Amino acid sequence: MESGILSSLILLPLVGSLLILILPRAYKTFYKWICLITQILLLINVMTILGLFDRENPEYQFIEHSEWFRLALGSKSILSIDYILGVDGLSISLVVLSIIVFLIASVSSFRITYREKTYFSLFLLLTASVLGCFLAVDFFLFFVFFEFMLLPMYFLIGIWGGKNRAYASLKFFIYTFAGSVLILVVMICMVISSQDEFFTSEYARLVYSFDFRMLKDTTNLIDGSILNIKNPVSVFGLPARDLMFLLLLVGFGIKMPVVPFHTWLPDAHVEAPTPISVILAGILLKIGGYGILRVAYEILPDASEKYAVLIGVLGLVSIIYGALNALNQTDLKKLIAYSSVSHMGFVFIGISAFNSIGFNGAVFQMFSHGILSSMLFLVAGVIYERTQDRDISAFQGLARKMPVYTLVVAVAFFGSLGLPSLSGFIGEFLTLHGAFQSEHLPKVIPVLGIIGIVLSAIYFLLTFQRMFFGEFHTREEYRTLLKDLTKTEMFMLGSLAVLTILTGVWPNLIIRYINSSLTEILK
Amino acid sequence: MNVLEEIFHSSTRILPEWILFLGILATCLALAFTKEDNKSPFYLFALTVILYVYSLVISAPQVTTEGRSFYQGLLHLDKKALLIKQLTGIAAIIFMVHARLFSYKFPGEVYVLMLFVLFGISFLSMTTHFMTAYVSLELISLASYVLVASGKMKKNFEAGIKYLIFGAVATAIMLFGISLFYGLSHSLNFSSPEFAESIARNPAGPIRVISFMVLGGFLFKIAAAPFHQWVPDVYESTPTPVISFLSFAPKAAGFIFISRMVAADFTDLNYALALVIILSLVVGNFAALWQNDFKRLLGYSGIAQSGFILTGMITGNNSDGYGTFFYLVVYLPITMGSFFLADSIWKKARTLDIPSMAGLGKKYPLLGLNALVILISLVGLPPTIGFLAKLVVFSSLADAASASSSGYLLYGLLIFGLFNAAIALYYYLRPAYMMIIRDPVEKSAGFTYDLLITIVLSYFSFTLIYLFIKPDFISEWVSGVF
Repeated sequence: MESGILSSLILLPLVGSLLILILPRAYKTFYKWICLITQILLLINVMTILGLFDRENPEYQFIEHSEWFRLALGSKSILSIDYILGVDGLSISLVVLSIIVFLIASVSSFRITYREKTYFSLFLLLTASVLGCFLAVDFFLFFVFFEFMLLPMYFLIGIWGGKNRAYASLKFFIYTFAGSVLILVVMICMVISSQDEFFTSEYARLVYSFDFRMLKDTTNLIDGSILNIKNPVSVFGLPARDLMFLLLLVGFGIKMPVVPFHTWLPDAHVEAPTPISVILAGILLKIGGYGILRVAYEILPDASEKYAVLIGVLGLVSIIYGALNALNQTDLKKLIAYSSVSHMGFVFIGISAFNSIGFNGAVFQMFSHGILSSMLFLVAGVIYERTQDRDISAFQGLARKMPVYTLVVAVAFFGSLGLPSLSGFIGEFLTLHGAFQSEHLPKVIPVLGIIGIVLSAIYFLLTFQRMFFGEFHTREEYRTLLKDLTKTEMFMLGSLAVLTILTGVWPNLIIRYINSSLTEILK
Repeated sequence: MNVLEEIFHSSTRILPEWILFLGILATCLALAFTKEDNKSPFYLFALTVILYVYSLVISAPQVTTEGRSFYQGLLHLDKKALLIKQLTGIAAIIFMVHARLFSYKFPGEVYVLMLFVLFGISFLSMTTHFMTAYVSLELISLASYVLVASGKMKKNFEAGIKYLIFGAVATAIMLFGISLFYGLSHSLNFSSPEFAESIARNPAGPIRVISFMVLGGFLFKIAAAPFHQWVPDVYESTPTPVISFLSFAPKAAGFIFISRMVAADFTDLNYALALVIILSLVVGNFAALWQNDFKRLLGYSGIAQSGFILTGMITGNNSDGYGTFFYLVVYLPITMGSFFLADSIWKKARTLDIPSMAGLGKKYPLLGLNALVILISLVGLPPTIGFLAKLVVFSSLADAASASSSGYLLYGLLIFGLFNAAIALYYYLRPAYMMIIRDPVEKSAGFTYDLLITIVLSYFSFTLIYLFIKPDFISEWVSGVF
């Protein structure tokens, strides 16, 4: 069945972006509406897909497959690059998350008043490439979207960012580009070690396929190639398959970000405008986790299992290091950025468990963190947009002045620190539960992971206490500026809060979609 | 067939070269008998180049992959040679368009010299014979020395002298290598069986050293390190259309000769090439980081790009030097586009100093967008054809690495080479960053609008993106090279 509904997810934002580009500046008030309407149409499409999605089927669904081009490597071999889209449980959860976050971010973008045309067309371009990345079933396609994403992001931070935006955006770009270069190395090595048997006999030349399903199938591996299993090739003293896995781990780890490759994140977050922070934390970080599950785990399962402990330790270090850093921040946005590092560590712990609970937990944690971190950055944006100040110590007793705001902040903070009945708890619980049950991990990793939860409780509660309790006290000039939430803000934060609570009390809402695909990876 | 008959017969088969030859004669005569500001040399040049490309296109179907030899092995016309001749012909046409659009007033001699370069390239691309190679290489070099030094400023002269001295040294080293080869094998044609036989009787080590010496002359032409010292000065001071042509055409000719030497396979050049590549990438990329002049930056980037193109020549069991030719086809619009961009910027901002380009992209959005596309295709980011070029060369490198015994070096090169793209990102992005993100420092002069230049520039960047989506065109063109 080729309905083209997945292509529409990529085409719609592209068309929207083009529309904004050709619409003259006189109509600049329309730009934001075009952007919003595109996101709503996307949401409708995604909901349609969700309705038709077969939850029990672990394979790709709604597959769209057409030849793109063939590149000869010479007279003996061809790279065959296809346009293949599909969704399985893993990708659909993240597609849904992206649509939600993009929708919220596009509402939040209504405040942008500077160079709107460029902003909204880049915004839609970013939407297209993020969705393309999640939908691609062809490694080449995945990589193209993965790498193309950096460009709009670079300009979105670079043009609309804060004071130090030039430094932050360049650092973001170079870090993540270095990561994607490692992924490119792995892509090349993977592709030239497995052949598409059907087309190889058809063309009478060696045909290398980029199709994830082909690469996953170990019977396609060429004897004597780098990644063959029978006679392991050793490169730099490591088996080639292990080396490839480690390169992927670093490549996607930078995107994730995992300590010690995280240093771009606080800078980028602090400088980015609110909607872009929301997208960065809400979706872009998830692509790292998605990439590891999709590429490393599916194609190199043997090597990944070998390094379970390493992944677990990296996750643990991120949790503790991120939390300790967050404890000491005075800038609200920096605090949230480090808490992101800490919470993404749980994803690593979950995927290192190598059991279905851990995997489900990891993907659930990605979803929940996507919602919660979007909330957190919006919350920080509310204060910043009113006062141009993000210093935690500048505010006190906000609860009296801004009651509704306090309520949403409470949901976001308590959700993040893992209060039961909110989504953060489920993610952390499942990942740690999986890690305890895992045969690969020493028990000390999940035990220490719990310390991370305690630490996050400390910094979130301390911040909450400092900013919201006690007498209302702030600088004179802020007093009139600090008003409670507007209707738009209430809509954005409210709908995210509802999602947090909903998935917190009914986690199966997500898990029933992802479970079968994740269990398939384990085999 | 006796020798004389063979020579006559061969002479009927090289029509494109005859066209060039007659064109050179006609242009020289026109120079001699007209006044200084007469435009006839330009028109004769244009006519010659167009006829040359036309005859190449017409003769294309007769050329086969294996090719055929003329003049008893002095020349060898095959698909590779045809491809390079076509590409350099197109480069000459782009030169013409470029010089015309920016109304450069060159003296008539420049056109004659350009034709000489083209003439030399035409023969160099067709030969596996050291003697022909030497003569045609010198023809290219001498003409380009004069082209570089032809300006009236002191720095033109300085660049010309630098170019001449380094070139002379490289040629001397090459000639020394050739004489050693001749002494060993009593043959100057390295694709002949006698040559391979007698080389095989000698120890591999010295043969590699001699091969590297011979390569030296050509590495100088393609601006690969350690034969690159002339590049920045020459690139900075030579008129843009001329250097745009010189940054592509002689390079392409150098590459095809190196590729023929690699393909002749009388010795394993992988090590030597890998070292040259690593050196070129390091020198090109790291020196480019500190450049403030856009054309100088392009010079250093050209060194690094040569490293990438050379990468395509390291091949394994399932790949051949195809990557180099693919990259060369892609390199034509990229490098000549970037020089066209340089002149467009110069026309708007009257400067090529990168920091003073601030805010230019805001004033001229289309210029900013085109600059971005051209620069990211130099980096090799999707969705531009630069990405596919890198993918192809590095895929064949990975294939070579898995097949070869010297795997470590090649795997190292694979990772290191791609990592260099991340370094390159920094300096390629700086002009784009200045133009698009930065605010202009001061209110500059009024808005100027050139329709034709904008169209041509946009056409360059459109090509770079369009070829990414539909690279079949290049595949077809390059297919049959091996």
